[in-house]
Amino acid sequence: MSDPAQDLHALPPREFLEHVHSFEFWLGSVQGYLAGRPYGHHDGLAEPAWTDPERDRLVTILCHYCVGETMALEGAGGLIRAAPNRPTKVFLATQTVDEGRHLEVLVHRLAELGVADPEREIERRTSAELIRFRDRLLAFVGSGDWDAALFAQNVVLESAEFAVFHRHARSADPITREVLLGIIKDERRHLGFGENELGRRIAKNPALHGRLRAVRAELDPLVLGSFERTLALLGTPAAERSELGRDYLAAVERLGFA
Amino acid sequence: MSLEGQERRRYELDDRGFDEVPAKYRKYYRRLDGPGDKLAPNELLCPVCKVVIRSTRELREGDRVYCMACLTRLRVVAGAAGLEGVVEYT
Repeated sequence: MSDPAQDLHALPPREFLEHVHSFEFWLGSVQGYLAGRPYGHHDGLAEPAWTDPERDRLVTILCHYCVGETMALEGAGGLIRAAPNRPTKVFLATQTVDEGRHLEVLVHRLAELGVADPEREIERRTSAELIRFRDRLLAFVGSGDWDAALFAQNVVLESAEFAVFHRHARSADPITREVLLGIIKDERRHLGFGENELGRRIAKNPALHGRLRAVRAELDPLVLGSFERTLALLGTPAAERSELGRDYLAAVERLGFA
Repeated sequence: MSLEGQERRRYELDDRGFDEVPAKYRKYYRRLDGPGDKLAPNELLCPVCKVVIRSTRELREGDRVYCMACLTRLRVVAGAAGLEGVVEYT
């Protein structure tokens, strides 16, 4: 690779893409914000004095996040085989590692909050919309449908998580906040990867547009329903909730799905 | 007013603590510091991930910059409130 100290923005596009999809780039990126934070946060951060309802609400929210991260883990790993070339396969390998870490730190946070059996709580508290979304996403992955699966996972799911985690981090306790901010940093790569890969594919094959529009129509109510439910649990005012969906809508608009 | 032919201002970039890319690229990025944050002439907001992209020279319409935080290439265009980035799917 050329010397980036000269001018990063002068790199040829192919050289840039090759580099940012690599494990080498991923390693250098995550070292900056994961080192020294076991299970996603510094040791010694104080746990607030929770009331039972506050603690219970946070446990429900984290259980929803765990379902999202589990489907993203299974989705990213399952999509490696369907990925069309080496850079996208390698990128998905890095995303799979990220998603596995997210799930691990969130389950660890549940344990810190006193949840003795996280798997049971996750199963018990998850919304029906999220389960239906998971089933559709994993069906796309299972059938090797690269475009639909990537759209569902890296555009729809990642954009929704990005917005919800941002909102939650603003009002969260110090430990949950640090865990979420670490996840958000990974999510930037994932949602950018999805949008750019699909944007390139639509540019080469405009017919793809109609297909993905139908996928979006099917998934929107599921993801937006789940999104609404989580934001309500966070105490987000109704007016602010629609504003938070803006990033997701902006991404689909850039891809031409407005 | 056309800037064509005018020499561009150069900028020495410093590390602003952006820790989401490998150390050698950190100087090219910074976080947006709230709604009142004003971008410098060598800076552009990434519309995908909302990170501020920095260049060693003043940006002008038609320039291309990279957002490494979200793997995106952007073309600089003139918008209603100043320079904006449009995603290029290349």
